[in-house]
Amino acid sequence: MRKNTLALASLFVLVGCGSTLPPKELVDARAAYQSASKGPAAQQSPAELVIAKQSLDQAERLFNDDGDSPQTKDFAYIAIRKAQLADATARAALAVKEKEAAEREAQNLTADQLARARSELSSAKSSLEKTQDQLAREKAAREEAEKRAAQAMADLQKIASVKQESRGMVITLSGSVLFPTNESTLLPGAIVKLNDVAEALTKGNPDANITIEGHTDSQGQRDHNMQLSQKRAESVKDQLVARGVAADRIKTVGIGPDRPIADNKTAEGRANNRRVEIIVHPTK
Amino acid sequence: MAPRDFHAFVLGRVWYAAAVKTSAPLSFVAFALLLTACGSSLPPPSDRLSSAEAAARSARELGADKEPEAKKYLLFATQQIDSAKKLMAEGDNRRADLVLQRANADAELSVMLAKENNAKHEAAIAQEKVKAVKSGK
Repeated sequence: MRKNTLALASLFVLVGCGSTLPPKELVDARAAYQSASKGPAAQQSPAELVIAKQSLDQAERLFNDDGDSPQTKDFAYIAIRKAQLADATARAALAVKEKEAAEREAQNLTADQLARARSELSSAKSSLEKTQDQLAREKAAREEAEKRAAQAMADLQKIASVKQESRGMVITLSGSVLFPTNESTLLPGAIVKLNDVAEALTKGNPDANITIEGHTDSQGQRDHNMQLSQKRAESVKDQLVARGVAADRIKTVGIGPDRPIADNKTAEGRANNRRVEIIVHPTK
Repeated sequence: MAPRDFHAFVLGRVWYAAAVKTSAPLSFVAFALLLTACGSSLPPPSDRLSSAEAAARSARELGADKEPEAKKYLLFATQQIDSAKKLMAEGDNRRADLVLQRANADAELSVMLAKENNAKHEAAIAQEKVKAVKSGK
């Protein structure tokens, strides 16, 4: 009888006290808080984490007082949400910080690029100004050269026949004006004329290459005419060099009777063929 | 003593007095009536209802419908708001209050998940801009 009473009393105590196992919601709430407290919430959302802990503590108190009651489950459910809220708040805060860092980086990069572009623009502008100056100087030099060439041409035309041909500017001097018959020594009057030619050449085309061609008529021995025309070309060269034309720019050629410009059958024609041509080649 | 404990104490004293002063069956009826009266004497949780509805509205405005997790908790919140309204209509304000506390927690979480999604999207756009600037576009 006593044993039965004792067993019944024990059973009653157990039933009366209720189950000691926490409900699933409370177990989940504890795990959710543990997870949140170990994550970014501790740094990024500490206030929300405190609220989550308070919510969990309230659910624990209810469980201690009421056991596995519907109210315990309700507050455990709320505690889970509070822990999840702390976590989500932390992640949102981190995302905002990432966005701000990226915006700052973009701003800095843009500022750097702008500074570089400005520097490059300034350099390009400076280069352009230099090029423009150079172009202006070159244009002025060209115009000056053209002016000198035109003046030289005008000067030459006063003392000789001057023509513009494909091979260059051709200054033709009559053989009878320059040399005695059958000789290659310059007449005194020829020296004066050649001095004028030299002055025109040094002023107008100082850098031009020059070919001096000696020509004869067809009378007499061909060999003799070839030699005479070569010597006459060299005499003219010597006089031009003496008056300042650069020797290394002058070439002499004896053409002899091979390139007549008039009919050798007439005296006038033969006189025209006896000539020296000074060809000023165009500068490249 | 916690409010709930005091409540139980009072009920216990009332029952005891009823049991001693009256007959047993009548005392049980009185006790049951007392319990019902105490449950419906709580005022309707109107403030908590407004708070839960406002939070759900905020979640929607922040685009909770576009993010799966935010949408899930928004759905929980709206379902519980509807349950709470029914409980309030039936006079069970105590239970309605608890349901609304759950609804509020769900709605707040939905709001923050929607904010997190928006913040991550904006961070991604800002990082794309950095890439574009670096590549010279």
